[in-house]
Amino acid sequence: MAIATKPQHALVDPTTQPLVPDFTYAPRLTDLANKRIGLIDDSKENAKELLEEIEVVLRQRFGVAQVVYHRKPSASKPTDPAVIEAMAQTCDYVLIAIGS
Amino acid sequence: MEFKDVKHVEWGDAVEAIETCYELGWTDGLPVVPPTVERVETFIRAGGRDANEVLGTLPERRREITVAKVAANAVMAGCLPDYFPVVLAATEAMLDPAFNLIAPSASQGGAAVLVIVNGPIVEQLNINCRNNIFGPGNRANATIGRAVRLILMNACAAIPGLFDRTLIGHPGKYTFCIAENETGTHWNPLHVERGFERSESTVTVFASWGPRQVRAGHEPTLVLDCAADVASTLGSSLSTSDSVGDTSVPVRQGQVAIVIAGASEFWAGWSKLDVRAYLYRRIRRSVADLKRAGVIPGIVSSDDHEQYVQLVPTPDDILVVYAGSPDATSYRCAVILSELPKVASTAVTKAIRLP
Repeated sequence: MAIATKPQHALVDPTTQPLVPDFTYAPRLTDLANKRIGLIDDSKENAKELLEEIEVVLRQRFGVAQVVYHRKPSASKPTDPAVIEAMAQTCDYVLIAIGS
Repeated sequence: MEFKDVKHVEWGDAVEAIETCYELGWTDGLPVVPPTVERVETFIRAGGRDANEVLGTLPERRREITVAKVAANAVMAGCLPDYFPVVLAATEAMLDPAFNLIAPSASQGGAAVLVIVNGPIVEQLNINCRNNIFGPGNRANATIGRAVRLILMNACAAIPGLFDRTLIGHPGKYTFCIAENETGTHWNPLHVERGFERSESTVTVFASWGPRQVRAGHEPTLVLDCAADVASTLGSSLSTSDSVGDTSVPVRQGQVAIVIAGASEFWAGWSKLDVRAYLYRRIRRSVADLKRAGVIPGIVSSDDHEQYVQLVPTPDDILVVYAGSPDATSYRCAVILSELPKVASTAVTKAIRLP
């Protein structure tokens, strides 16, 4: 007896997948002494307080030399590319705080 | 026509076809029209665009949104092919950097995207601009608005619980599309106010909370006083510590849309400019109220009762739309608040390109 088969259909997938370009990590730091740090505050509540406390700890315990602080105008917007470029030139590492 | 992502499935009847789309995780919870290659091709031809044209990107989620993806979602929403240029324009507007789609499609505030259609296409496609403006019963409004949500969920990955972190949301997240009743009013249409020709057709997208209906008195000033009172309420997206309470960055205030129904003659002697100017001065809250609500820190002082904070940055940030029943005997409008400060998302208008 023949087995009944159902008709085949081709559907256009309405979803998307992330397109992730290749990238390489920056070299890892081995210590923080005399390093320059960038702090990015997303402008939500408590982000500033958290980063200010972290800055104190980093300076006192780890000997961080210099701090560049940037506060985004909106948590919802990406950081200004000019700020990222400047921090890439002037900072050894960057921390981001997401407030709530 | 070549498509990059095609799924081969089988079904025996219409119900199985619908269930297949559920199983694939492609729906908003309601049944969809299966996006068959043939149907999607019909839409793309109606739009007159290349299937693989990239309409824009969502860099935070590393997504590219193509014409084909938009077409598949418009098919699923139940659109007619003729609606497709409207859906394309709405997508282009959502992908404009000023709209900043990442914010309204992720925020806990739970914005829906209000789609406002203007121009000759409103009559050509029979998009409802009159009675029951936010309600059901009209295919164009229902399916264009629904297509926008399916595009957000499927193509932009705004899946509830994943990237869409909405806490409560509102029913406009299923569908939220209206048109302006341009022929029923002496006012300039929204798109003309926003720099387009009257003969052009446009789509405006606005990331917003749900419409709050206002039933008001028998004078234009009474209607606007009530609308301003509603727009100035505490606990709204416009009166939070994230918005006007945060004075560390400029222009934290949000935008407002007001949809006005009733006879055009009621507004004789008033222009939209007059309406906006009147509302702008009254959409505000006293410092005392904002302090009592914890929006502004500090103890209420006697001066705070006479000091006011404007909740909208400029009169131009009030979008006035004439729509709804034109023969209402009591005057009604709907106030719709932006979900986010203007700096995080701004209403965007794009021309609809017809093939």
